[in-house]
Amino acid sequence: MKFKIKYADQIVGLFIVVAIVLFAVIVVLVGLNQRWFAKDYSFKTSFPSASGVAPGTSIMMKGFVVGKIDRITLNSENSVDTLFHIYDTFYDKVREYSILELTVSPIGLGSQLLFHPGRGERLLEEGEFIPTADSAAGKAIIEQELVEIPPKDDTITRLLANVNPLLENLNKTVVTVNRTLTEVNRALAGQSTGPLGNIVNDASAAAAQLPRTVNRVDDIVADVQTRTAGLLDQISSLLAAVQGMTGDIGSITSNLAATTEAIRDPTGLVSKLFDPKGSIKTFLDDDNVLYKRVMSIISEIEASVRSLQGIVTGLNGEMPKIAAVLNETRTAIQQAQDVLEGVKNNPLIRGGVPERATQETLYGSMREGSFE
Amino acid sequence: MNILVLLGRSAREKSSRLLYGLGFLQNVIKETLRFFRKSQVGYKVLIMQILFTGYEALTINAIMAVSIGAAINVIGTSLLPQFGQSQLMYTILIIVITRELGPLLTAFVITARSGTAIATQLGTMVVSHEIEAYLSVGLNPISYLVVPRFIGVVVSMLVLTVYFNLFGLLGSFIVVQVFNPTPISEYLGNLLSQLAVGDVLWGLLKAFVFGVVVSVVSTYQGFSVNKASTEIPVAGIRAVGQSFILIIVADVIITLMQYA
Repeated sequence: MKFKIKYADQIVGLFIVVAIVLFAVIVVLVGLNQRWFAKDYSFKTSFPSASGVAPGTSIMMKGFVVGKIDRITLNSENSVDTLFHIYDTFYDKVREYSILELTVSPIGLGSQLLFHPGRGERLLEEGEFIPTADSAAGKAIIEQELVEIPPKDDTITRLLANVNPLLENLNKTVVTVNRTLTEVNRALAGQSTGPLGNIVNDASAAAAQLPRTVNRVDDIVADVQTRTAGLLDQISSLLAAVQGMTGDIGSITSNLAATTEAIRDPTGLVSKLFDPKGSIKTFLDDDNVLYKRVMSIISEIEASVRSLQGIVTGLNGEMPKIAAVLNETRTAIQQAQDVLEGVKNNPLIRGGVPERATQETLYGSMREGSFE
Repeated sequence: MNILVLLGRSAREKSSRLLYGLGFLQNVIKETLRFFRKSQVGYKVLIMQILFTGYEALTINAIMAVSIGAAINVIGTSLLPQFGQSQLMYTILIIVITRELGPLLTAFVITARSGTAIATQLGTMVVSHEIEAYLSVGLNPISYLVVPRFIGVVVSMLVLTVYFNLFGLLGSFIVVQVFNPTPISEYLGNLLSQLAVGDVLWGLLKAFVFGVVVSVVSTYQGFSVNKASTEIPVAGIRAVGQSFILIIVADVIITLMQYA
């Protein structure tokens, strides 16, 4: 008889028994792996939302699964009451001030429920409430550093940790800019009393005074021009007088030169002087020509000196006015310089001083017109 | 008018056949319950049925399981890391092997091997008047011929599904060693952490239902042969076709129940 037929009972029995044993082994292994026979410690917590905390969600601590979510219910206060258990092998980590933290991946790779052991001495009793990190109690525990929170070591969390301060700074900057703009707006509206308002007010007052200052500068310049014109006339007449006097002095100088030439020879001077045909005789017998000539020269010199004295007196009388004009001009130029410097440094005035629009002549010659 | 008549006649015949089939099923279940209480008249038939249906199909079943497990492993290992979801490989392996393909492919193998054999054998017995002979000596053909085959196919189906799960889940470990050497403790740890007993039980439920479908349809089609020997292969073909359809429908229904 064929072996298979002869031992059919044994073969079939073995076939079935082996399958049952293997199935039982798998079930036992699954049970051991899934901790069917181990004692778990149940605790409670509360989340604001059930997203990411479905029943069966693993609770992680430093990469180890230390427990699982058992049940979630929405309570009357719209919070999610959550019942979870911690494995007995990790029960010694469940100390006072322990918290749970739900971290959600920013790029949609799910969430992770983390357990952070507290620094307290007392082990929490089964059924006690463990706060979450985003609850008020959890935040207080974190602020007081009563819980061990390891640094986030994944790249995205680190990036976020770096980005968050940047965002906070950016937020602060935006708030500051907003406040500044508000202050500027208030200052421009004349409602601010701060430094910026003062600056704006000063700039506004300076800008308001600018036309008046420019008018004053114009007046001063016109006055200077007027005074300068009178002064120039006087100087011109003075120069003409001096020129005439210079001519007289030139003639005197030539006479003196001739006299000097005549008396150059000292030996013959007395004889020439006392010669009956000499100079004294000539001088005495010249019908006072020389005397009159000398007298006219003296009178011309006297007139010139008087004229010069008048000029000097006039100049002396005008000197305070010229000095005052020069002082006013200098002050006006300094004020104009300050105003222009203020305008140049003022960041609130955009675009600078507008260009002057030149007015085209309204009159057009026939050559400029079109023949069409 | 003729179409209406044809449709009505067809509907009446199909409903009559369905009612007959349901009555046959009821009779089989009733006799099956009696099978364990009565003297084991069909015990030897049952053993032989399990031997032929279960044990002899173990080889092809194991080859299929290892191949499919390896294929899933290779595909998962190469595809899932691209999405950063490598750990899903074990979940996919468990779902495909234990819940879906394990019972389904085992049912297809049993249908192809034993379903046709049962239908052909019973059809031949009908043609050769053996059934009448059993009746003449007071043996109920359902309790002696159908019930052992029914139980044998169902038990074989369950056992082969367990083997398929084992070979599919553990056989793929060999392939893992070729492409990505992994300690067996790590592989088993990951696998068992993802494997729920519910997965296995749902797979066994499917296997039980598929076994019932294959055995009942095959025996029904075998008994549906009347006189001519040419009806025997037709009965075999119908047994396979109807079994496949009913298996797929049952699979969909159970899967929907599972995820409902």
